[in-house]
Amino acid sequence: MLKIDNLHVRVAGKEILKGLTLDVGAGEVHAVMGPNGAGKSTLGNVLAGREGYEITQGSVSYNGRNLLELEPEQRAAEGVFLAFQYPVEIPGVNNTYFLKAAMNAQRKHRGETELDSMQFLKLVREKLRVLHISDDLMNRAVNAGFSGGEKKRNEIFQMALLEPRLAVLDETDSGLDIDAMKMVADGVNAMRSPQRAFVVITHYQRLLDYIVPDFVHVLVDGRIVESGDKSLALKLEEHGYAWIAERRLAGAA
Amino acid sequence: MSAMLLDEFGVGDARERDESWRYSKTALRALSQQDFSAADAHAALEESLVARFDWPLTRGRRLVFVNGGYSGTYSDTGSIAAGIDVRHEGGQRFVLTVAGDSAEPLHVVYVSVPGAAAARWQTVADLELLTGRVGVIEQHVGAAGADVLGTLHSRIAVGPGAGLRLTTLSDLPDSVSLYRRVNTTVARSGACQFVDAIFGSRLQRADLNVDLNGEGARFESRGVFVLRGRQHADTHLDIRHTARDTTCDVLWRGVADQRARGVFHGAITVAPGADGADARLSNKNLLLSPHAEIDTQPVLEIYADEVKAAHGATVGQLDETALFYLRSRGVPASIARSLLIGGFCREAFAGIESADVRGWLDTLLAERLPDSHREREEVAG
Repeated sequence: MLKIDNLHVRVAGKEILKGLTLDVGAGEVHAVMGPNGAGKSTLGNVLAGREGYEITQGSVSYNGRNLLELEPEQRAAEGVFLAFQYPVEIPGVNNTYFLKAAMNAQRKHRGETELDSMQFLKLVREKLRVLHISDDLMNRAVNAGFSGGEKKRNEIFQMALLEPRLAVLDETDSGLDIDAMKMVADGVNAMRSPQRAFVVITHYQRLLDYIVPDFVHVLVDGRIVESGDKSLALKLEEHGYAWIAERRLAGAA
Repeated sequence: MSAMLLDEFGVGDARERDESWRYSKTALRALSQQDFSAADAHAALEESLVARFDWPLTRGRRLVFVNGGYSGTYSDTGSIAAGIDVRHEGGQRFVLTVAGDSAEPLHVVYVSVPGAAAARWQTVADLELLTGRVGVIEQHVGAAGADVLGTLHSRIAVGPGAGLRLTTLSDLPDSVSLYRRVNTTVARSGACQFVDAIFGSRLQRADLNVDLNGEGARFESRGVFVLRGRQHADTHLDIRHTARDTTCDVLWRGVADQRARGVFHGAITVAPGADGADARLSNKNLLLSPHAEIDTQPVLEIYADEVKAAHGATVGQLDETALFYLRSRGVPASIARSLLIGGFCREAFAGIESADVRGWLDTLLAERLPDSHREREEVAG
């Protein structure tokens, strides 16, 4: 589904990703772990199409298409979703209005009929109920005045509503207490399916107790330096990222 | 001629006039170089123009002025409440006296209609609110054509314990210029709320002067201007706290696209002895083009003790992170921009109680936002 090959990315003149290669198949959950500054958020932003990231080398193909030439809204309509590490507060823009505009723009792009208000609200209530989120969320402005936990819940709710085929979660666990983290994990687990893939970017192993990944990758200094199954995350938790650095040094010698 | 318009629209000595008009001098000079004849107060209105103010909600409570003159033809005054007295003192001056509550708002419409050549009109409108609470909607509309310059002088007196809500919707074509001076006094425990929505026009200058001269008097101002092309709007608020325990709360948003020019000057003075005053002013502006310009000047002068005051003013650009957030959910860039600009403007209207007023503002905003305009042009083109 997603093939990232030897990706090099510069941000403000500085090379952040230095030859990242990653293959994600439909139905798989990949965890990308790494220390601060390794390039984890850059990966998420590049996949979603944020401006300011200069791709100097390599390629990203998504369902056989060159993902990098698509606008962010085209990527969304094609099924790519990024749960933001820092969801943006947008005062004055109503959540319902925003999500209806998003959903119908996506449907239109895919040649599907747009939902009317009744159909849309029915769908919204269904998703809110499954995630145990109060429906006053929909009457508020997008993330405005939300607590950290509420913002992350809103990200998961948007993901549940928009039903992407490739969901990238950028440190969705950061700043969450254990209950909120479980809620996020429940939201993701409920959506796991053979047609859908997840890239879960995280700093800590803790989230992976709840979202059990098929593959774990360690991102250090702009490259995936180690890949394995879920046990790799546990080793990292035990030994820290320094352990990876030492192993690499040993390997080089 | 330049000196003449500055004399007419300026206050104070030569230096004060220059200072007060510093950002709009060129626009005023251009107006001054034109010859204006008297506008025709009996001009007939196109149906499409009438449709812009003929709201079902205000039928029977509507005063219409065509090029400054009261129009019996277009006014509709059948159901004006008993406590409201409308007097005309000559063609270009009217006095509105209100005593008692009026549940439904009064609608005062000023229509600028072009003639064969440039023309101007002048009107004086006084509003005295003796008791009770009343809402007034002042609406400025016009037809495109030869230049029109309108001048409206208002005096508003809000009596002890009375409450006025004045909503001014000004949506004018680029051939119309408008000068408004509103001198307001608010007496003891009186409350006055201004809501201003300014769209379009060649030059639109508003001098909103408010004197809180009774103990416990309150003033609130909410406003938005949305400009494009070569439109120019200049709003001066001058609020004076001259009695104890008076409050003012000012929240304005401005948007300028293309080569438009916006000016916001918010001056608050707390006079000696006006202890316990509470003054807040917030003005945020959005520039949508490198050729647009917005100048904002908050001025706070305090000569009393135990005063609470806060003010802030910013000029910025559309938040790229927010834009990306919306687009990452599938919202196309042009709609995302429109949503953000609309949201930015609506912040100023969030606290408005009247659902009707919020509804009108929403409709106006939706029609006048720069990107909705662009999309329409793209569709039309």
